Amino acid sequence: MRRGEALAAWMLTLPAALAFLLLLLAPTLAAIALAFSDYELGVWPPHWIGLDNFREMWTDRGFRTSFVNTLVYVAIVAPVSVAGGLGLALLIEGAARGRTIFRAIFFLPVVSLTVAMAAAWQYLLHPTIGPVNAVLRAVGIAGPAWLSSSDTVLLSLAAIGIWESIGFNMVLFMAGLTAIPRELREAAAVDGARAAWDRFRLVTWPLLGPTALFVVVISLIRSVRVFDTVAVLTRGGPNKASEVLLYTMYTEGFTFLRLGYSAAITLVFLVIVLGLMLVQTRILDRRVHYG
Amino acid sequence: MTLQRRTLATGTTAALFAPHVLRAQGTTDITIHYAQPFIFKESYDAIAAEFARREPNIRINWVTTPNYEEGMQLILRQAATQMQVDLSYQGFNRLRLFAERGVAHDLAPFLAREGDPARHGYSPAILSLAHFGGMQAGLAYAASNPINFFNADLVRRAGGNPDAMPTDWPGIMQLSQRIRALGGGTEGMWYAWPGDDWMFSALLFGHGGRMLSEDERDIAFAGPEGLGALRMLDRMVREGGMPNLTREAAQQAFAAGRLGMFFWSTAVLRGTIQQVGRNFELRTTVMPVIDPVRGRLPTGGAAGMLTSRDEAKREAAWKFLRFSTSVEGTTLMVQNTGYVPTNQLAIDEPRWLAEFYRANPLFQAATRQAQLMIPWYAFPGANSVRVTQTMVDQQARIIEGRATPEAVLADMATEVRRLLPRPRG
Repeated sequence: MRRGEALAAWMLTLPAALAFLLLLLAPTLAAIALAFSDYELGVWPPHWIGLDNFREMWTDRGFRTSFVNTLVYVAIVAPVSVAGGLGLALLIEGAARGRTIFRAIFFLPVVSLTVAMAAAWQYLLHPTIGPVNAVLRAVGIAGPAWLSSSDTVLLSLAAIGIWESIGFNMVLFMAGLTAIPRELREAAAVDGARAAWDRFRLVTWPLLGPTALFVVVISLIRSVRVFDTVAVLTRGGPNKASEVLLYTMYTEGFTFLRLGYSAAITLVFLVIVLGLMLVQTRILDRRVHYG
Repeated sequence: MTLQRRTLATGTTAALFAPHVLRAQGTTDITIHYAQPFIFKESYDAIAAEFARREPNIRINWVTTPNYEEGMQLILRQAATQMQVDLSYQGFNRLRLFAERGVAHDLAPFLAREGDPARHGYSPAILSLAHFGGMQAGLAYAASNPINFFNADLVRRAGGNPDAMPTDWPGIMQLSQRIRALGGGTEGMWYAWPGDDWMFSALLFGHGGRMLSEDERDIAFAGPEGLGALRMLDRMVREGGMPNLTREAAQQAFAAGRLGMFFWSTAVLRGTIQQVGRNFELRTTVMPVIDPVRGRLPTGGAAGMLTSRDEAKREAAWKFLRFSTSVEGTTLMVQNTGYVPTNQLAIDEPRWLAEFYRANPLFQAATRQAQLMIPWYAFPGANSVRVTQTMVDQQARIIEGRATPEAVLADMATEVRRLLPRPRG
């Protein structure tokens, strides 16, 4: 009887297990194996070169720039979009009217296609015919070449990144807010937390803990993953000023055809993402749940 | 044409009764790949329609990729697994990679069967465009060179004469400054330096320089010609007031009538005509001359290469490649794109294209400087594409005014040397 049950269980999980094996585990293992080879598209067979790819990465100016750029991008986009998302959620929750409209407006960038939106941004930020610089010119300021100057390109991309994810974070926070019983805040007011800030600090924020943690991790992962806007708007230029991890991985693998090196970069990316997930599940999980 | 067909027929009569030839008399299916359908589709459609009339027994499956890069990936992927494409049209600068990786078949034996190639319009200069890795890796299908697209309205308002544009760079830079002075965010000129090394080679070849030494063991651009090329770029920014734009941004500004002169490939002529519409009077002219004696221009465009592993399909694919690059094929190609003909007969004999050029003066600029065209240099070894990216990155420092041409040339030389294949022994 037991055995039959176990067999049935295995049979039931078989489709999911197979899909996981074929679509996720096998390609990941293949990428890990490739990371230790010199595989180039069109050159067969590849050779096992041990840690050479990682050694090259260490000295490669392109990879270093790309790594630092990604860190800067994440350091701007993640905090601003988390704080901004929370702020918007609180404002909209507290608003008397127009909640649906504002929610829709801020959520719009999330559901729109990034590539199409990138084209719109390209026009907005166009140095000569773009509206942003036209406004600046009207007040007597010579606007910068937003996407083609190495001073501003990363900031411009970060601004687009924030615009893209702030609505997503807002919706997550709003879901978290509706889960907090209204009575708790009212009770706090009775107990002497008169100022709105006090009620937020003492009741809302601690109860938002699990949501906030999730939003932070998701924002970090989403911003490490930045690719579309770079590929469409700047191609990593000028002079690698907007080169980011995934874009480097793409050009090394598919433009320069060095799949081995590209797989090694993928591995670095994988370690970062897994590390972030580990942070979520292990360390912070214990501190934000009130059992 | 009839003459050539007869020679082909006598050549095969003896083998006509061999069983495999008899089988080949049935329908042969071949797969042909090309990139950039938005530029090339009309030309291939026209050629395929004409080809179907002559070779009714060859059926063609088409595969396209949005750009050359994905086309290269497609063929290399198939080379590693199973080759399904029999004939692929690839960018000139990528042919070397296919030749070195053993994907492209040498076309010399195919050409030799028809006698002297020059008699069919394949002059040595045209053959050299697709001669890479020590073999005839392909046949040039469409050739392009850089030209000057300009906004005749802006030129006139700035006091220039659209019918007599400056023929040297100092003149262009002065005109550019006068167009900028019109105000309202109008820019004078933009030179398409990002993307790849093609426009840099236009400045280098324009000075009579070359990328690598004759034996390809060391770089040759670090001399006075290379410095001249980078200084020219520097002067475009300082004296011409060239703005720092991405290529897309520059194209948009030009189409919107806010950029006076735009220097890029004649390949985008058709697209530019459509973008500009009736916004302003679009004109084209030849590139400014740098060195009137030694100056040359790089050739962009595509060449067809045979990749088939099946003999019958290879023969059928060769027939299409041969026709698409014949004088009839190249005539159809020119009429449906913005490119320069790749068959000498179409250039020499007025009956093919003279009428078309009279009716379409914008298409004349590229052909007027066709005698200056030399192959787009492709770097040897595994890092060939990486080298070009390095050159673009280095030029960005000049455009942003962060380094002198001298410093950039030195860094460029060091980085490119590091990426060249190390000589053995």
